[in-house]
Amino acid sequence: MSESTKSGIESGSDAVKALSADLDTNIKWLTGELGSEPDIVIRQLQVLRNKRAALVYISDISDNGLINSLVTSMLDESLKPDAGEFEEEPLQGLMLRSLSVGGIRKLDSLDHVLLAILEGCSVIMLDGFATAIAADTGGREKRGVEEPSSQTVVRGPKEGFTESVRTNTALIRAKIKSADLRMEYKLIGKRTRTTVVVVYMKGIADEQMIRDVSRRLDLIDTDSILESGYIEEFILGKTFTPFPLIQNTERPDAVAAGLLEGQFAIIVDGTPFVLLAPVTFVKFFQSSEDYYQRYDIASFLRLIRMSSFLVSMLFPSLYIAITTFHQEMLPTSLLISLAAQREGVPFPALIEAMIMELTFEILREAGVRMPRIIGSAISIVGALVLGQSAVQAGLVSAAMVIVVSFTAIASFVIPSVNMGSAARLIRFGMMFLAGSFGLFGIMAGLMVILAHMSGLRSFGVPYLTPLSPLVPGNLKDVFIRVPWWAMKKRPALFGKATARQGSAEPNAGNQGKSNGEGKGRR
Amino acid sequence: MMERISLNQLGSLIVIFLIGSSPLFLLAIEAGKDAWLAVFVGMLCGLALLWGVNLAIYRYEPDMHLFEIMMKYLGKPAGYLLSVCYVFYFCYKSIRNVREFGDLSIIYLLPTTPLSAVMALICLTAGLSIVGGAAVFFRMAEFTIPVVIGIYALLFLLMAGTGLFNLDYIIPVFDEGLKPIWDAAFPETVSFPFGELVLFLMFWKLTDADRNAVTAIAVKCYLFSGLFITLTNLLIVAGMGKLAPAVTVPLMQLASSIEAARVLERIDPLVALLLFTGVMFKLTSYYLGAVIGIRYLTKLSHKTAVLIAGGIIYGGSFLFRSYMEHIWFGFVYNVKYHFPLFQIVFPIVLVMIVAFKNRRAGKEDA
Repeated sequence: MSESTKSGIESGSDAVKALSADLDTNIKWLTGELGSEPDIVIRQLQVLRNKRAALVYISDISDNGLINSLVTSMLDESLKPDAGEFEEEPLQGLMLRSLSVGGIRKLDSLDHVLLAILEGCSVIMLDGFATAIAADTGGREKRGVEEPSSQTVVRGPKEGFTESVRTNTALIRAKIKSADLRMEYKLIGKRTRTTVVVVYMKGIADEQMIRDVSRRLDLIDTDSILESGYIEEFILGKTFTPFPLIQNTERPDAVAAGLLEGQFAIIVDGTPFVLLAPVTFVKFFQSSEDYYQRYDIASFLRLIRMSSFLVSMLFPSLYIAITTFHQEMLPTSLLISLAAQREGVPFPALIEAMIMELTFEILREAGVRMPRIIGSAISIVGALVLGQSAVQAGLVSAAMVIVVSFTAIASFVIPSVNMGSAARLIRFGMMFLAGSFGLFGIMAGLMVILAHMSGLRSFGVPYLTPLSPLVPGNLKDVFIRVPWWAMKKRPALFGKATARQGSAEPNAGNQGKSNGEGKGRR
Repeated sequence: MMERISLNQLGSLIVIFLIGSSPLFLLAIEAGKDAWLAVFVGMLCGLALLWGVNLAIYRYEPDMHLFEIMMKYLGKPAGYLLSVCYVFYFCYKSIRNVREFGDLSIIYLLPTTPLSAVMALICLTAGLSIVGGAAVFFRMAEFTIPVVIGIYALLFLLMAGTGLFNLDYIIPVFDEGLKPIWDAAFPETVSFPFGELVLFLMFWKLTDADRNAVTAIAVKCYLFSGLFITLTNLLIVAGMGKLAPAVTVPLMQLASSIEAARVLERIDPLVALLLFTGVMFKLTSYYLGAVIGIRYLTKLSHKTAVLIAGGIIYGGSFLFRSYMEHIWFGFVYNVKYHFPLFQIVFPIVLVMIVAFKNRRAGKEDA
């Protein structure tokens, strides 16, 4: 447990309340604080022949099997023939011989006792001692490791993070078996006391950056952290941008890959979405699958994704600009057919596009919220009523329906939902610019976005790296992905550009995804 | 503390700045079919100016921008006066580009939109590009330059592929001797576009590299863009012949003649955007120069300076009654009489003073 959170908690309560040597006083205080809820168990028992003791825990968040064996071991102790040896130091005796759990620690104040109980520990108090022992018996119902629901791949590991921070760290440790893998635990949130873990590779990640992140996390002053989104907004502070500056992922392999490139990860207890930072713009177009498939198809898919981003951001506005201002750009036959379609449409192209885009956004939101059973009803209404009959009724042109649908599909190609939403928001602004200034307006808009992106930084890394500032060595993994054997060095974006392959260390090239042996045979 | 810029970013801005609005015009029209040779000669003169004057000043004082150097060597009153003149010169150059940009947008893209609205959008875009600081703008240039160069290359290939060029328009070279070439080259092409690099006296000190590296990259990028401009002029003459001087934007006319595979037929709006990207960067660079100057002279905050310069530029862009008057005034008066003052005369005088004082100081030390 970090020092800072402890002190943060203490400053919340007025004064640290010391444990009393009298067991009954302590129990009374605890019942006063916790209330006598049915899940709070205060088990009194006699240990070491004649000592009164109390075991306090919350049954719902504890592992009952562990607690049973703990109680058994404590009671058995008093039956052992040499139980009297620790008459003088009963506390020491308990800790050394008779607690059948892994993690134990001593507590001096009632506040700490209270917090330990709330975290799921069992607290053992002995009559006559102003010190308590917390035994780590935490355990609760949790979801097993399942396939990630938001980031699926055709080839690659199928396991995803879960809500439990322990499971998540285990998944990462299972991927990177290196002593350099570091995990810094923090407790954030005065009331929720959420475990937040900063994970990084020592020697690869920039130490200054890690210190900075750690400091920013310590500065968070809030009473609740319920999801990694809270942390994301707190540590970014006052940065106004539609673009995501922190990546989130459900995939342990993506996190492992990021750590090995010098990124750090933040795991928040209670959510399967792990944060990865610092990131650059191009990172959002990389899927972990790119590295498992052959490099030629991976490069091709990456180009498809980037063009999809452009389509999703610009296609409706280009359509508006060209049909409103620059009709001469269209081939004659297309122009005639478009004009014929638009003949009966009562609105200008901008209004028409706005209506259809908003309709789609509503449908999309409805699709997320509605119960699965009535999904087919919505799709019928959406596709038939809104699509086909709106065209037949002459409210919108068929071409506009095509434009909007293609845009919608393209927006799902981008691997990161965050980046997709950025494109969605920008799309509307672009449509207004296109409706009032045509292609020129779009260009002006793109210019401003470029200026904005050039000024963005994610934890000190310029957002458009490696394109601007240009880092030629990193271009191997931007628009295309070169084969693994050609990526001799780590990207120099986030940390030290150490050799990834062919270095003197025997195992340096053997970590994580860059498996030296498999590579040779592939 | 200002953020530093890399050599690559500096080079990118030099290239995009020099290319800027030059492909809009057929430079050195008077030289007829040898116009491109005149541009080449102009480029060589400009190179001498860049290396012998502009970079020479920088090499004496690598940690100062133009205004600081003038203050140091000319004394406060003269330096201040000249600095104010330069701020207006930068603003005026920016104004000319805004006006060009606005008028051409109306001619080629938005015939019914009011000029004031188009120019307002231009000024707004330019202002937003530099409000984040010089480093952000330089990064923008670095990002854009590969795209711009790539599209130009594609465009020229398309033109060549569809058989638009006719060698008869350019040979024989030196048909009328060297005199018309020299006359057309000096001072017009030196002053526009090559001498315009005087603006970079405001930017050299932003780099983090040593002066030799800066000199090298500046000369290299200058040569690249000089050759590029020469090539553009050559292609315009080769494509249009005697018609070239008669149209507003020859390159655009040429591009609209491209017909390939029945798909790429009317790509001129796209070409217009390409040309405008260059103009945009050019006018923003001048805007930035003016902002740095205003900040230095008045100690205002960056944002205020951006607002003030933006106001001057937007207001000033209504100075001309029409595009024709604007072009006529520019090429007949400014390029011949006014700009050389700022681009050639003042810098040469300055470099002589700087060199003289430094030499004397060197002797006293020895």
